[in-house]
Amino acid sequence: MSKSEANVVVFACNWDGLSSVEAVAQAGLSYPASVKVVRVSCLSRLHQGLILKAFELGADGVMLLGCEPGKCQFDTDTALITQEYEKARKLMELLGLREERLVLAYVPRGDGSHFVGRVTSFIAEIGQMRSAVPGVA
Amino acid sequence: MFDTEREISDTRINLCLDCGKCTVVCPVAQHDPDFNPRLIAQRRLGQNSNIPQDDTIWSCISCHMCTERCNYHVRFPDFIHALRFEALEEGAQLQCTHGGALQAVMHMMARGELHQDRLGWLPQDVELAEQCDTIFFVGCAPYFDVLFSDLGVDTLDGVKGALRLLNRAQIPFNILANERCCGRDLLLQGDREGFMALARANIEEFTRHGVRKIITNCPEGHYTLKVEYPRILGSTGIEVLHLTEVIAPLLRSGELSLGMLETRATYHDPCTLGRCSRIFDEPRQILGAVAGLELVEMEQNREKALCCGASPWVHCGAVNRQIQGQRLAQAEATKADVMVTACPKCQIHLKCAQKSGDGKIKQVEIQDLASVAARSLD
Repeated sequence: MSKSEANVVVFACNWDGLSSVEAVAQAGLSYPASVKVVRVSCLSRLHQGLILKAFELGADGVMLLGCEPGKCQFDTDTALITQEYEKARKLMELLGLREERLVLAYVPRGDGSHFVGRVTSFIAEIGQMRSAVPGVA
Repeated sequence: MFDTEREISDTRINLCLDCGKCTVVCPVAQHDPDFNPRLIAQRRLGQNSNIPQDDTIWSCISCHMCTERCNYHVRFPDFIHALRFEALEEGAQLQCTHGGALQAVMHMMARGELHQDRLGWLPQDVELAEQCDTIFFVGCAPYFDVLFSDLGVDTLDGVKGALRLLNRAQIPFNILANERCCGRDLLLQGDREGFMALARANIEEFTRHGVRKIITNCPEGHYTLKVEYPRILGSTGIEVLHLTEVIAPLLRSGELSLGMLETRATYHDPCTLGRCSRIFDEPRQILGAVAGLELVEMEQNREKALCCGASPWVHCGAVNRQIQGQRLAQAEATKADVMVTACPKCQIHLKCAQKSGDGKIKQVEIQDLASVAARSLD
């Protein structure tokens, strides 16, 4: 892993999101050490403040990892997180940060390789943004 | 740069006679028996230096009602801000409202390499004057409208109204694409470092563009740029005016006239514009110049106006809600169609109370002063 690998914070919901992260090791796969996983009970627990805080503290990218629509364990499903995700993206755009640095990803339960693919391509995209516009990410 | 003891003494708190008038008029103390400005002063200034941290200092809403009443002109809110700075230095944790989103935005805005994309809302019909040493300071309205989109706030409507009024008055101005938040909320919550970063970035931007005069529609931005920047950073050499100070004289002299709007309105004095900047008449003159607009006063108005109930995005709770409910009830009692305010934060706080109330909170319509005045021109 290169020293300048993008710092990515993954907010993973306790259900399908986290199960796919845990499945990575079980499947004998791995993801870069610059990925920090934060478990939340449901993505609806997140709000724009927490997402922006991750960027304020120096994250290069933030991934919101949760259950696919219709599979949420609670009543809220994806409505709340979609609202907060949209707001956070608009704020990042106003701040002149690349809004692509925030992604909302839905994963099938226990699919480790899906998560690894998603997070590594996300890190690569951030790396490209960084080389295109120095100082952006 | 910040000598807390000196700042505390500059607030004249040592002249406190322990009379308690501040506490009698304090809107927070009316609803929260634990909050007592008189006792906060007594505890901090007492002989015992081993006192535990005073948690009640976070409840002050900086409405300046106490300053208005104090016979010795003690600047109690400034005293509170110094105590907050001291508490944060000692490791106190802020209870940020809205999940700390505003603090995160303010801190990120203070970064040096910032290239904001904040003018997407600018209407095509607004004329900007390039190469002009007068700027309109937009403030945080573009951010507020995203942060509080679920409350239905439209603070940019006030900004657009202000720009149209300035165009109509033929006052040339430009807008800076990379202006920052003025930092007042960070200053009020005791985050001096954050405030200084924003203030320095703004001043650098003003200097780079050769700004000589600033007009703004935001009372907080107005007071901070006009009073706090020179007080903390030294003279900026920039004249700062609130929109109402620009428009009202033109209406008086007949150089500008407003249109017609059939409505009954009541005016809510924002604390910072009223008690801090002493601008009470100009907003009323502007509303008075709208034909067909009947202006009615609330029970508490001008110097005695009740605050919108919240301050620098920290420590908001049931007491704040009660104050907001009280203010909205006062507006309702005037039977006004619209409650007009000149501050985006008042609009946010009062609409938040209306949205999250238990159905007992009055649902009077809330609009910005500049929006109302500009709409009369259509």
